[in-house]
Amino acid sequence: MTEFAIEAKQLVKKFPARPGTGDKKAESESSRAPKRRRFPFGKKEPKTMFTAVNGVDLQIERGEIFGLLGPNGAGKSTTIRMLCTLLEPTSGTAQVNGFDIVKQANDVRRSLGTVLAGERSIYWKLTGRENLEYFAALYHIPQAIAKKRVDELIERMELKERANELVEKYSTGMRQRIAISKALLARPPILLLDEPTLGLDPQAARRVRELIAELKQEGHTILLTTHYMEEADLLSDRIGIIDTGKVIALDTPEGLKRRIDQKEIIRLELTGWHDDLADKLKSIAGIENLTTHQQGEADLWEVNMHAQNSRTALPRIVESISGNGTRLVNMNIVKPSLEDVFIHLTGKALRD
Amino acid sequence: MTTQTIALTRSLGRPNFLSGLRALGAVMKREWMIFLRYPSWFISLFIWPIIFPLSYIITARALSGRDGIGMTQFLAATGLHDYTGYIAIGTTIWMWQNVVLWNIGFSLRNEQLRGTLESNWLSPTWRFAYLLGSGAPQLLSMLMFLTVSAVEFVLVFGVQFQGSLWLTLLVLLAAIPSVYGLGFAFASLVITAKEANAFVFLVRGLVMIFCGITYPISILPDWMRPIANWLPQTYIIHAIRSASLSTAGLPAITGDLKILALFGIFWLSFGYLVFNWMERRARRTGAIGQY
Repeated sequence: MTEFAIEAKQLVKKFPARPGTGDKKAESESSRAPKRRRFPFGKKEPKTMFTAVNGVDLQIERGEIFGLLGPNGAGKSTTIRMLCTLLEPTSGTAQVNGFDIVKQANDVRRSLGTVLAGERSIYWKLTGRENLEYFAALYHIPQAIAKKRVDELIERMELKERANELVEKYSTGMRQRIAISKALLARPPILLLDEPTLGLDPQAARRVRELIAELKQEGHTILLTTHYMEEADLLSDRIGIIDTGKVIALDTPEGLKRRIDQKEIIRLELTGWHDDLADKLKSIAGIENLTTHQQGEADLWEVNMHAQNSRTALPRIVESISGNGTRLVNMNIVKPSLEDVFIHLTGKALRD
Repeated sequence: MTTQTIALTRSLGRPNFLSGLRALGAVMKREWMIFLRYPSWFISLFIWPIIFPLSYIITARALSGRDGIGMTQFLAATGLHDYTGYIAIGTTIWMWQNVVLWNIGFSLRNEQLRGTLESNWLSPTWRFAYLLGSGAPQLLSMLMFLTVSAVEFVLVFGVQFQGSLWLTLLVLLAAIPSVYGLGFAFASLVITAKEANAFVFLVRGLVMIFCGITYPISILPDWMRPIANWLPQTYIIHAIRSASLSTAGLPAITGDLKILALFGIFWLSFGYLVFNWMERRARRTGAIGQY
C-alpha cells in the first residue's frame, strides 16, 4: 500500500474551447494545439484548446483532511473529476489509494466515496432508504452487510423517522445527509466532498462539519472543496490553493496565514461607496489587495485592504473617504484570516 | 498533523459475478419503482392502443368503398381479410419502437439532467448495466402495453386473432434485440448530442413510410422496397401479422425469424459498441457532467 492516499503528478486537462467565447487564454494556446485533419474542401481551423488544469501536483496523506480552495473556474472541480475517474487527464498521472486513475479506474471507484452534486446526486422519486439500498448494490456491498450499513447510516444521520418517505419531501439538509450517507455506504478509505455544505442552513452546515471531523477520526482520508474559508480553516489539516489551473500554495492553515503575518488587514464599513474611491485607496502607499462587497441590499459596503503599516495609512484612508456622500460607519484592524491569504495569493475573493 | 486513528485502506465492496448481477437487478428495480411513481403511464396504457390506430382504421373503412368492396384488393395484396387487425398490429409495432426510442433513448440523458448519472458513473458497476437495467422494466411495461392492446383490439375493433399466441411471442422475442439495440445506440448518441428529437422523428418516419405499418410494402414504388428490406421493423410487422392473424403457422415466419436474428446480433452489438465509444469519449470531454 502506498504512503499517500492521493498522489497526483503534473496533472493536465485541456478541453476544446467553444468558438466565439473570446477566451484569451484559450486563444493563446491555439498555436500549440494539434492540427485537425484536412478535408477535401480546405483546411479546418486548428482546434483551440482551453487548459483547465495545468500541471497539478498533490500528495495527500492517509487520514488527513485536505482542503482544496480556489475561485470559480480555477480548476478544482476538474481536478476532483479526474481523481474520481469521471475525466481522463490530457497528461500527467495520479494514484488514488495506490491505483492509477486511468488504468485501474474501477479500483479507484471502489476506494472512493464522493459527494459531487449534493442533493441532485440521489433519486428524489425513491425514499431515503431505497436510495441507500440501491447504491449499496452498485458498490457491491454484500447484502447482509448492506442492510446493516443502511440502518446504521440512517440512524447516524438522524433520518430514522423519515427514511421511508420519498426524498422529494425532504429538506435540502436531509437530502444532503442522504447524499453523504451514499458516499459512506462502502466505508471507503477516501472521501471526495465537493462543497458539502453548499446551500445548507447554518445549523445543517454545522452538523455536516461535525460529521466531517468525526469521519477523519474514523480513519477516512478526506479531500474537501468549499467556498467557505472558515470551514476550510476549521476542518483542514492542509490546504491547497488552486488558481488558473495551478496549485499556487500548499500548507497548513496556520502556515498559510503566517505568509502574510507581517501585513495588517484594515476592514471598513461605509455607506455611499463609489468606484472612484477604490482608485483613491489603492493609490495610498502600502495599501494592496483591496476588495469590496455590499452587505445585503442596504447601501452598506465592507471594504478590506492589506496594509504594510496601518498607523501610517489610516489618516490618508480617512481623508480619502470623507466627503462625496461617503460615510464611515465602522473600522477595524484585524488579524489575517485564510480569506486574506487567498486574496493575497490570487488577487480575488473566493466568492468571485 | 498528528493522528492516532488507523487510516482505512479498503472498502466494504466485494466485487464478483453475483454482486454484478445484483447491481444490474438494483438498476432494474430502481427504474421500475420510479416508473410506477409517475401514475400517468396508466392512462397511456389504455388510451394509446385505441387512439393511434383508430384514424387509420376509419380512413381504410372510408377508402374500402360501399360494403367494403375495395377489400378484395387488400386481400389480394396481403392474403389477409382482417384489415383492422392488420393496421392495429402495424401501428402497435411502430408505437413500440417509438416508445423505446423515447424511453431507452433518453434514459441516460434524463439521468444526466436529473444529476444522478454522475453518481451512478462513480460506482464500480459495469456501466452498460445502467442501460441494460433501464431497458428491462421498459420491456416489461411494453409487454403490458402489447397485452392491453391485444385485448382492446378484440373488444373495440373486433379483431380476430386466429393465429398462434406462442408463435406471436416467439416473434416478439426475436424482435427484442433489434428494437432495443437501436435504443441503446440511440441512448449513447443522445448523451453526446444532448438533443435528439430530430433523430427520433427521422427513425419513426422511416419506419412509418417504409415498413408498411398500414399497407403492404408490395404497393411501394420499386426504389422504396429495397430500403424496407434493410429495416428490421418490416420483418417484425410482417411476422407478427402472419403469426397472430393467419393460421399459416411456423413456416410462414421462419424466414422473418432468421433475418430478425441477424438484425438482432447486428443492432445489439452496434448498441454496445456505440455505448463504449460514448463512455470513452465522455471521459475525455467530461460530457457526463454537462447538462
